[in-house]
Amino acid sequence: MTRALFRTIVGRKGSFLGTVGVTLGAVIVVAVVLAVVHGLRPGRNPSIGGQPMLDGVSGAVWLLGGVGAIVIGALAGSYDVAQGTMRYLVLTGVRRIGLYVARTMALVAAVLLALLPALVLGLALVFLLPHEAEANVNASEVGDVVWTCFLWPTVFAVIAMGIGSLLRSNGAAVAISLFFAFAAAPLLGLVSAASETLGNLMLLPALDRVTGGNHGAPIAAAAAAVIGWVALFWCAGAVRINRDEY
Amino acid sequence: MNAEPIIRLGAVTKRFGRTVAVDDVTIDVPRGRCLGWLGPNGSGKTTLIRCMLGLARVSAGTIEVRGREVPRDVREALAGVGAIVEEPRFYPYLSGRRNLEVAAGFVGREAFGRIDDAFGRVDLAAAAGTAVKKYSLGMRQRLGVARSLLTDPELLILDEPSNGLDPAGMAEFRRMIRSFVEQDGRTVFISSHLLDEVEKIADDIAIVQAGSLVVHGTVAELVAGGAATVRVRVDEPERARAVLGALRFVSGVQAPEPRTLDVSVERVDDESSMAITRALVESGIGVAEILQRRESLEERFLEITRGEEPPPVPEPPS
Repeated sequence: MTRALFRTIVGRKGSFLGTVGVTLGAVIVVAVVLAVVHGLRPGRNPSIGGQPMLDGVSGAVWLLGGVGAIVIGALAGSYDVAQGTMRYLVLTGVRRIGLYVARTMALVAAVLLALLPALVLGLALVFLLPHEAEANVNASEVGDVVWTCFLWPTVFAVIAMGIGSLLRSNGAAVAISLFFAFAAAPLLGLVSAASETLGNLMLLPALDRVTGGNHGAPIAAAAAAVIGWVALFWCAGAVRINRDEY
Repeated sequence: MNAEPIIRLGAVTKRFGRTVAVDDVTIDVPRGRCLGWLGPNGSGKTTLIRCMLGLARVSAGTIEVRGREVPRDVREALAGVGAIVEEPRFYPYLSGRRNLEVAAGFVGREAFGRIDDAFGRVDLAAAAGTAVKKYSLGMRQRLGVARSLLTDPELLILDEPSNGLDPAGMAEFRRMIRSFVEQDGRTVFISSHLLDEVEKIADDIAIVQAGSLVVHGTVAELVAGGAATVRVRVDEPERARAVLGALRFVSGVQAPEPRTLDVSVERVDDESSMAITRALVESGIGVAEILQRRESLEERFLEITRGEEPPPVPEPPS
């Protein structure tokens, strides 16, 4: 069932291959920009690969991969109901909650697969492109980037899937999910003005903390907060899937 | 064969707010036959099907499918059911085969082994690798039937399956449905508003009006329950009316056109026709034409469903 749903998610080429292409393109652009900057002022920018490239890869995959993952996630949540295929999945007799869990697993796999090519290429360029010894990166730094680049998009993809399952309309699901990620979630940080403790448990500070941030809540509390935020949207979608008539 | 009905509906009612879409429907559907579920648009046909398949909850009443209560045991009930509801929907960007593989992934491993057979059964094998977005409506209908076959169903529930088919496609579709019943021994529950189609496909017919079941029986019973007349064209209609009105088996005489009489009789057959002819000839009345007339299914349907305008049934959320 998970494999079947995975096929339906990666089969939506606009969102899936679009994410693969955009992230790959962004990594290449980062490499080209670093090479040009190095060529123009090699004294000031002695390294193309190494740390500068790792920073560029991290930013490109994290941001653009995140946007792509949100689109993939929102469509994973909304598409079957919007397209009318949901009733045929339910008609197979499978438990709705089982379907939803399988869809979540398929989505996570699809998001990781979509980001993998860019991350592999980017990390290869980090080591292959010329750089000074000072710009060398170690395994821990690479691990942090990989963890960040996978976790942020995955978290927002699952949240978007919950939103998509609630809204049942593809366009609205994508729009609201992007709004949440780029407007609502940052605005929630304003809570810290009233309570720093509570502010640290908002989604973005908590995610930052579990992906290597040095400030904020204790790591366990931050992890619990991230899980709680994801669970909130995921469960809302699950309730709707379970209750709806098709 | 199992004598238990394959579908058993007990006083099923479905309301949307104040609108009653399905009103106290009770019916047993026998196995191994094709039941035509007939009704005008908006009469609650699809809503009842959605309830039977566990896609919607009933407001009152009980539903049993294959001996299992729905929705309580819906998984077991649906294990032997294939269905098209409203219209078959697919992932348009995937090929027909990929779509069936997605469905098979939900049904179980054995369903993958039925995919080729299903394509062959609906004569779609040549287009199996083509993206569904390039399929015609008729091809999508057939692909929907193919998907329904993946569970090797003993019950097929098809909601308006011949919508959008051309005459040749409809004829092919009829043959396919009859083969499911006659060759495979499956039960087919087919809803439609196309009377002619259902009359050709179904063994039994149920007619719903405004959510209520108004008639249920075999096609022959239903037609036999309609008005039976012998139409005669004579040279002296007034005298003929008096002669025929005196016959014991005649219950009434109408004159729809000048020199034409419709004679209502208990039973339309050769004996009644000959008795009418004999009575007219013996009275010296010239008979130009005599015709046995029985109401068609369409006339019966219109007669049964005439009058009350059904309330609109809300569309299922999409």
